[in-house]
Amino acid sequence: MAFGKFLLKRSLQGVLVVWGVVTVLFGLRAVTPGDPVNLIVDPAVDHETRERIRQELGLDQPIYVQYFEYLQDLLVGDLGYSYQSSRPVTTMVIERVPATLELALAATVVALVIAIPLGVISGTRRNEPADYGATSFSLVGISTPNFWLGIMLILLLAVQLDVFPTGRRPVAFHDALWMFLTTFYVGDLLTWFHHIILPAVTLGTYFTALITRLTRSGMLDEYGKPYVTATQAKGIPETLVRYKHVLRNTMIPIITVLGLQLGTLIGGAVVTETVFSWPGLGLRLIAAIHNLDWPLIQGIIIFVGISYVIINIAVDAIYAKLNPRVLDE
Amino acid sequence: MISDRIKSNLRQEFKTSLLPKVGLVILIAIVFMALFAPVLATHNPNTTGHFDDGNAYPPIGVSYDSYEVVDGEREPYTVEFSSDHYLGTNNVGQDVFSRLLYGARTSLLVGVLGTGLAVLMGVPFGLVSGYYGGRVDDAMMRVADVMLAFPSLVLALALIGVFGSMSIPVPDPIVTAGFAEGMPAATTLPGTVTLVVGLVTWVWFARVARGEAMAIRNEEYVKAARSLGASNATILLKHVLPNSLTPVIVLATIQVAAIILLESSLSYLGFSGTTLSWGYEIQQGQDYLRTAWWVSTVPGIGIVLSVISINLLGDWLRDSLDPNIEGEGGGA
Repeated sequence: MAFGKFLLKRSLQGVLVVWGVVTVLFGLRAVTPGDPVNLIVDPAVDHETRERIRQELGLDQPIYVQYFEYLQDLLVGDLGYSYQSSRPVTTMVIERVPATLELALAATVVALVIAIPLGVISGTRRNEPADYGATSFSLVGISTPNFWLGIMLILLLAVQLDVFPTGRRPVAFHDALWMFLTTFYVGDLLTWFHHIILPAVTLGTYFTALITRLTRSGMLDEYGKPYVTATQAKGIPETLVRYKHVLRNTMIPIITVLGLQLGTLIGGAVVTETVFSWPGLGLRLIAAIHNLDWPLIQGIIIFVGISYVIINIAVDAIYAKLNPRVLDE
Repeated sequence: MISDRIKSNLRQEFKTSLLPKVGLVILIAIVFMALFAPVLATHNPNTTGHFDDGNAYPPIGVSYDSYEVVDGEREPYTVEFSSDHYLGTNNVGQDVFSRLLYGARTSLLVGVLGTGLAVLMGVPFGLVSGYYGGRVDDAMMRVADVMLAFPSLVLALALIGVFGSMSIPVPDPIVTAGFAEGMPAATTLPGTVTLVVGLVTWVWFARVARGEAMAIRNEEYVKAARSLGASNATILLKHVLPNSLTPVIVLATIQVAAIILLESSLSYLGFSGTTLSWGYEIQQGQDYLRTAWWVSTVPGIGIVLSVISINLLGDWLRDSLDPNIEGEGGGA
């Protein structure tokens, strides 16, 4: 199969998945008990006003009409209006994306920077003290709930030692960067950095632990393969064997697992944002669920679903480029 | 279904490695704590009480500085621990040790029941999908893809929005039989949370069962059974199901740990359905980190120890049985 055809097939599947996500959410909203009009106006308000609001929201229409109208609006990027604030959901989602994206990327950087060297050390020095250290760390890391880890970091580093703030995001990265580029003022960037360290470590620890594990077991698997013996026999320096051949082949399955674990990263972000009052999509989602603000709940989760699908298609594409054999399967 | 070879592998791995033994000991201790919570608890976990000025007792061996205001002046004094409260009290005077014991009940109940629900939903789904293959499989796997596009925590939150919070009181036999006076007569099972964690994790079981069914349907003994006239239902129940159980058992073990983490996250976020939950307690303590650090710290250690012990046993099973499986893992 050609690469283009492969990509097309995966994209069509992706569209189908997104449609499924939208439909499931629409179904959930439809079966949720309670009258949404009560969320918008005082329940004591007169019947006429209630009916008027119902009409404005299109809630008087049969359910399938509502469904197709929702799909139609979605195609042009219109996610409706929040019950709680009456603001457009699309805006409410987009304005919160940078904060969550910053957090997720920072956590990924933390994870990769720590985990890959740790995994390599662990995988090449099996059953030595360094390996025991790394495996114990990864066991504890995947077993610790990240909200508790965050609270312990706050307790230790913010409350007791007072070296980091307990939370909040006083400045957005893009604003801080813009400030730096236009006026060479570095203060905002430093403030941003100071505030994101604890949340990023909190969110990144699970992934650090997971990638360390995967790198270690991947390296051990690869070292058992004949090509490594062959390259070693040819007299190629061990460092070159380790990094150019073994580590590179180890990375291929890790990329796939990371794509699948994206859901865990997003779920973790919801919790981490709550711990640190980090104003991202997760914090907004929690508030929306507490208020049963279904247009907003739907909007955020559809956005998350679309991101998940797109990133996994990208991961598959990278995988196919690195390992073209999958195109034949 | 569990051959002698598998049994000897399990025994071999258990003997040669220290880790599964550590896991087993910790897990037995936690299960014991959960089962006999009413007898082991020193106080009713729901009874609030106050130190005369509202300060929380620290754990045994710990003291901290506080002050009271006398005639507009700050009078510093030291709050000493009470030997009555092993791990101190929380901000409303409830006993932290007793709440730790009862929290173990909630975590294990939700972990085991939620996993059971996920197995009951996922395994039949996956077996049918993998056994029949073709279009049936295509359609069913698209459903699974949709499920996977939802982060489990996020879908769980949406489902809680639908179901609301329902709590089911389960009478406590130890208390009913009169062995533990003054303890709660019923344990609250967070019904919605249990249902929801099952609903968001079944798809991992479906994937594993599907892979097994696809491999097994081409085995000689299945072909033989088919040529003897056995119906598809019989083959699925008598041949495919028993032979696909090994990886399901391994995944189920790991998923109990993942669900304990998920439950604690949901409770932390305020959707627990019971106040006797480790996640809820951590959330309550977060506002008191400056004065009463132990309120959040203690239940977290409970979570970490339970999850580590289950993961150690899961690793042992996986290394001994060596099926290739993937699961979502932490979830939190």
